[in-house]
Amino acid sequence: MTFRTRLLLIFTVAVAAAVGVVELVVSSRARQAFEDMEAKRAEALVTQFNREFARRGMEVMRTVESIAASAAARDIAISPDASSYVDQAAALGSTHGLDLLELVAGDGTIVSSAEWPARFGYKEDWLTGEPDWKGRGAFLKREELPDGVALALVAVGMASVGDRKLYVAGGRLLDREFLSTLVMPAGMRVLLYRNLAPQFSASELIGASGPAPGAARLESLIEQAAHQRHEVAATVGRGAEAETFHALPLGGYESGVLGVLLIGSSRRDLVELEASMLRTAITVAAAGILMGIALSWWATARITRPVRQLAESAGRVAAGDWGATVEVASTDEMGQLAGAFNRMTHELVGQRERLVQAERVAAWRELARRLAHELKNPLFPLQITVENMQRARESYPEQFDEVFREGTATLLAELSNLKQIIARFSDFARMPAPEMEPVNLNEVAAETMKLFEGQLAKARVRASTELDAALRPVEADREQVTRVLRNLVLNAIDAMPEGGTLTVRTVALEAGARLEVSDTGQGLTPEECERLFTPYYTTKTHGTGLGLAIVQSVVSDHKGRIAVESEKGKGTTFRIDLG
Amino acid sequence: MAGATALAARRPHYGGTLRIEIHEAFERPEAMAPPAGFVLASWEAGRRAVYTADENAAGGRPYLDSVEIQMGRPLRDQSTDLELGKTDVVELGPSELRRQIAGRKVWSSSPVRLMALVFGPRVEDTRVREALALAVDRGAIHSVLLQRQGEISGALLPQWLSGDAFLFAPAFDVTRARSLVAALGAPARTISLAVSDASLRPIADRIALNARDAGLVVPVTAQTGNADLRLMEVRMASSDPARALAETAAELGLAEPARSDTPEALYNAERALLDGFRVIPLFHLPRVFGAGPRVKGGPGITPLGEWHFENLWVEDRP
Repeated sequence: MTFRTRLLLIFTVAVAAAVGVVELVVSSRARQAFEDMEAKRAEALVTQFNREFARRGMEVMRTVESIAASAAARDIAISPDASSYVDQAAALGSTHGLDLLELVAGDGTIVSSAEWPARFGYKEDWLTGEPDWKGRGAFLKREELPDGVALALVAVGMASVGDRKLYVAGGRLLDREFLSTLVMPAGMRVLLYRNLAPQFSASELIGASGPAPGAARLESLIEQAAHQRHEVAATVGRGAEAETFHALPLGGYESGVLGVLLIGSSRRDLVELEASMLRTAITVAAAGILMGIALSWWATARITRPVRQLAESAGRVAAGDWGATVEVASTDEMGQLAGAFNRMTHELVGQRERLVQAERVAAWRELARRLAHELKNPLFPLQITVENMQRARESYPEQFDEVFREGTATLLAELSNLKQIIARFSDFARMPAPEMEPVNLNEVAAETMKLFEGQLAKARVRASTELDAALRPVEADREQVTRVLRNLVLNAIDAMPEGGTLTVRTVALEAGARLEVSDTGQGLTPEECERLFTPYYTTKTHGTGLGLAIVQSVVSDHKGRIAVESEKGKGTTFRIDLG
Repeated sequence: MAGATALAARRPHYGGTLRIEIHEAFERPEAMAPPAGFVLASWEAGRRAVYTADENAAGGRPYLDSVEIQMGRPLRDQSTDLELGKTDVVELGPSELRRQIAGRKVWSSSPVRLMALVFGPRVEDTRVREALALAVDRGAIHSVLLQRQGEISGALLPQWLSGDAFLFAPAFDVTRARSLVAALGAPARTISLAVSDASLRPIADRIALNARDAGLVVPVTAQTGNADLRLMEVRMASSDPARALAETAAELGLAEPARSDTPEALYNAERALLDGFRVIPLFHLPRVFGAGPRVKGGPGITPLGEWHFENLWVEDRP
């Protein structure tokens, strides 16, 4: 991954993360605000319900008391035969706007019932048993009706004339009409569960418009409120259909909870708000990411262009173009870096030129020294021979012929020696280009070792050959490779004047082959190893110092590598890898 | 002079039309007993009938020129019409009887109407029928809803007709009724009660409430077609007990009673009809009519509840 791509990614992730964090924070705040608002609305509705409930209770109470105080009630109370008043409750109830009205004699016998006319003569023992309804005002009560059981807000009044009494028990049903009188804010609704059956019954859950659908999902909440007898809240449903319900238990005349008021607040607004915020966040994030990509593309281009130029220039330097420079386009850190790079390459070029110059001078000096040394050896016998011949001509003319013959022989031998020396220098100077062909190194090694069998035996060197049978032919100049191996073998023999073991080893590589030549001679110091391949450098008392230079030159021409491992006193190993 | 005017007002005179309202709606003229001394002049099935005085009536021409009968009028509407002077004679139910209306005369017959519960053939289990017979609180219905009209009875024929109705005293035993119902399966505990006459609805509701106390479920319906049980009224049209029993049995859908020439035979025949509780007699009720202040003479009905308009006349002036 490039530096620019990384920068691009970082910018993009940063923009997306920032938008995400903002969205989370805003969403969380919005949710909290909605919850607070919803709680306040529910609280207001509970207050409204309680107020309405109390108002209805007062209304019922006043109505019942007015009936009890009416002349009709007194007439019924004192009548010796109340049977003729069997229809009176219905008439009074209708007149006073009550859903329920029972006129009950002092002994608890129903004289007239508006809600269930057929119940005349039945007993209402709760009125006469322990009249704790006194002082309670209106209260919730379970009422049996011909078509079932109902929940009603009931009050009791009493008409008393002398020792005759008439109880007036009247009330209004807590039904959907009652719920419809509650003013509901948008998004809220109120439901009433009439807890009149031993088991949960979905049909007992009503709303302002009739039976409430989906009652089963509220069952646990209703039972929880009825069981705990205090307000509980829960959210039911999912997504936009979710509603938060506050369930208020409604106690009644009898023990237990007779009803549960459920105030529901739809979460649709919140869900839609969150969805809208999410859409906005996604849009903003997408736009931000696109803008981030564009900006970061531009910014990274500005930032990475000098870096890329630096990298390209460094690569060119590594490839040998030491004169590579970069454009200094600014004065910031990147500009300073580019300037430093340019100074560095400029310095490197200078140093290299100075080094080359120095090496060239050193090489010429070395060459002169070697030439002088090499040429001085044959010249000295030549001078002696010529002087002997001159001295014999002048002092011993009778021996001149013999001296001449011996002297010319010596002269010819030394001249031959001089020619060899000149030819060796000439060979090094004229190293030919390799002619590549498939070469089996095992064959080359075997042939070379066979060639040197006599010389090795004479030098008391034991030969060891370890050839890898899996070795494949490599592309090489057979003659030059043979020459390399011969040089290394000769060097190894020279390194073991007291005898030893020469090992020639081939190893198959993944790509190519390895050729190793090891001796058990005196070994080399690290300094010697470093200078080993320098032309005209030698550790021997004879030789031109060109052998290993030629070896390195051949290996280099074959795009191969040569390395040396040596330890003083233990021997040296030359390792050549060819592709 | 004033005394002569009063005397003239009390003296019968010819002419005028007597307006009558009844709650029944007859489809055929034969179904409605015509007032004696009058002949049918006009008939609108289920709505209106007009009878004119028979000039050749055996007892002499009636004072009234005609009798106009309006059919299918609810009892409550009839009373209202009477109060408003829209009609002259109306039927009175218990509720209407409770209302005190100035100038209203009440004509009451002997108890000639049998009110009874009649089971349909689907209710085969005797225990259901007996349980309902034991559960009905006739006393409460009689004292409150019927305002003590007529008499409580467990017999088909009223006491005044057979003389042995007291031997069929009805039992009211909710505990036993409950025990009978407890032995029944749930499906058998529900029986539908049909009452076609809206004026009988309060009585039917009370019977349903009593049945509920015994453990029966008795929904009340106005549809008589497919009901398990019907609340019916049967009118005794004959003063001969044997004939009245036979006619009553026929109207109630019971088997024809055995010929009964002696009181014992009549008792046995009636007892046989009541065995098995196919019919649960409840009350024997009189026919009660209210007459407005315009109607003079009377009473306008016989002890058997038949119309007797020959000696009536109407007085238009107050």
